[in-house]
Amino acid sequence: MHDVSERGGDAHPHGATRRGGLGDYQPLLLVAAIVAALLVRSRIAWFDDGEVRLWATLFVSVCIQALPFLVLGVVVSGLIAVFVSPDLVRRVLPRHPALAVPTAGLAGLALPGCECGSVPIAGRLVSSGTPPAAALTFLLAAPAINPVVLVSTAVAFPNDGELVLARFVASFLAAVVVGWWWARRNDHSLLDVDPHDHDHGSGRLARFVDIASRDFVHAGGYLVVGAMAAATLQLVVPRSVLATVADNELLSILMFAGLAVVLSICSEADAFVAAGLPQFSLTSRLVFLVVGPVIDLKLVAMHAGVFGRRFALIFAPVTLTVAVVSAVLVGQVLL
Amino acid sequence: MSRFGRAGMLIFIGVLIGRLVLDGGFGWFVQQHMRIPLAAATVLLLVFGVYELVSSSRDGDEGARVAGPGVGWLLALPLLVLVSVAPTALGAVAADRVDAFVPTERTERFAPLPDTSDPVEMRVIEFLDRAAWDEARSLQDRVIRLEGLVVNDPEIAGGFKLTRFLVSCCAADGIPLQVTLHGTGRPLDDDTWVVADVIWRPPEVPYQETEGIWVIEADAVAISPVVGIPKDPYESPY
Repeated sequence: MHDVSERGGDAHPHGATRRGGLGDYQPLLLVAAIVAALLVRSRIAWFDDGEVRLWATLFVSVCIQALPFLVLGVVVSGLIAVFVSPDLVRRVLPRHPALAVPTAGLAGLALPGCECGSVPIAGRLVSSGTPPAAALTFLLAAPAINPVVLVSTAVAFPNDGELVLARFVASFLAAVVVGWWWARRNDHSLLDVDPHDHDHGSGRLARFVDIASRDFVHAGGYLVVGAMAAATLQLVVPRSVLATVADNELLSILMFAGLAVVLSICSEADAFVAAGLPQFSLTSRLVFLVVGPVIDLKLVAMHAGVFGRRFALIFAPVTLTVAVVSAVLVGQVLL
Repeated sequence: MSRFGRAGMLIFIGVLIGRLVLDGGFGWFVQQHMRIPLAAATVLLLVFGVYELVSSSRDGDEGARVAGPGVGWLLALPLLVLVSVAPTALGAVAADRVDAFVPTERTERFAPLPDTSDPVEMRVIEFLDRAAWDEARSLQDRVIRLEGLVVNDPEIAGGFKLTRFLVSCCAADGIPLQVTLHGTGRPLDDDTWVVADVIWRPPEVPYQETEGIWVIEADAVAISPVVGIPKDPYESPY
């Protein structure tokens, strides 16, 4: 991947200008690629293969499903870049990290969306001066505990009301624990986000559109990587193979954690998938609902893009472990 | 990615997704209720793209400056796949890969079927639910009209699995809903969409006492093929 070198250029968005370079012709190249794709459509027999078309359906459907949430996310991140200053964050968030982290987690209640939208928002919060521990807690909590997700969980499990409570508690707990862990670690050299964009004299509207567009192509590019990985793994590892371990509680918990990572399902809909697997225990399905919104293939790709690859490599296993442990503990108490 | 390139990308996504929203083609990939969020996202992307294109070309040099990471070019991939491979709705290939849906236990009572003349139109998931869990056996001896696609199975002589997908979020989580039909007449190709009038065949042993996948069966009364794939091919659990 080429993010490291690209980010260097990205950090000075108003710098280099290459007059007469490739940049002028990029939209034309895009048109040419689309026309070429239309022309080859009927000429390549491989495109008619059942599995290739199924892969295409899975890949495109993950992208289309994520699109509205990604757009909502970058609109919010554009607004944050324009209206939220480090001063404002200092005034609103409690000073002490032990308090700032759960406060940021509860703020997640207010964002009705799924995980794709919260990644650019968290990135923008960090560049606007929010302590990273608080922004990361928001990143993990928002897609899991917002009202839309909790209502859809209640609809999917009409006879298991305690599961909704367990999901809320376990997800919130996991987000706060990861946030505190990051606050203690306090190693900001790992984070590699866009620097705060100071006002360059252009109007607020221009800046809003610029930032929202930049965050869209940035997070969107990584979303595409994740969607390709999810579509490919679904074809390589059929779900029926995974479903043969239902009898063993430990195996089912591990399987559901793996399933959540591989399937990369939107947090607003994962409850329906879990409800469709009734042969498994409620606790193992709670693991699925707690892990999915905080870490999965497409999220790892997006975290690497927005926060840097080194960060993603450490953040993913810690988050996965904390989410599984939190879900199992809460499941023991509540389910 | 230059500012021009970025503007071009936003407009292309807006145009291609906008077309799917207008002609209903999005229904092969995501649920029907995504129409309005997708339309709103499309409009915003088009507005952003046009705004960027106009304001950057007005400023002369502005258009060629670096305005986004190279990874943004990957956004072209789903668009290229969409126009070249032309993916369709889930069908027989997908149904063979995933275990069929098992109706989850129902404790509340099912509403009685309307007394009007048969056939009664019904979603496939409701047919499976009633077959498995309705103690009043409301399906017994009634002609039910189902719509779905053909999945052939060499083990079913003179029949096929009438299949529809249950999609919770997008097509990537589709689970096949299947009714094994007998006496369907002349063989049909995989993925042919049909309207089928069927009568439920009560199981010899209750489904709940069988190992593995429950085979819910019915006898075909009339099968009429439908041309093409419907715009709303999936059933939702809502």
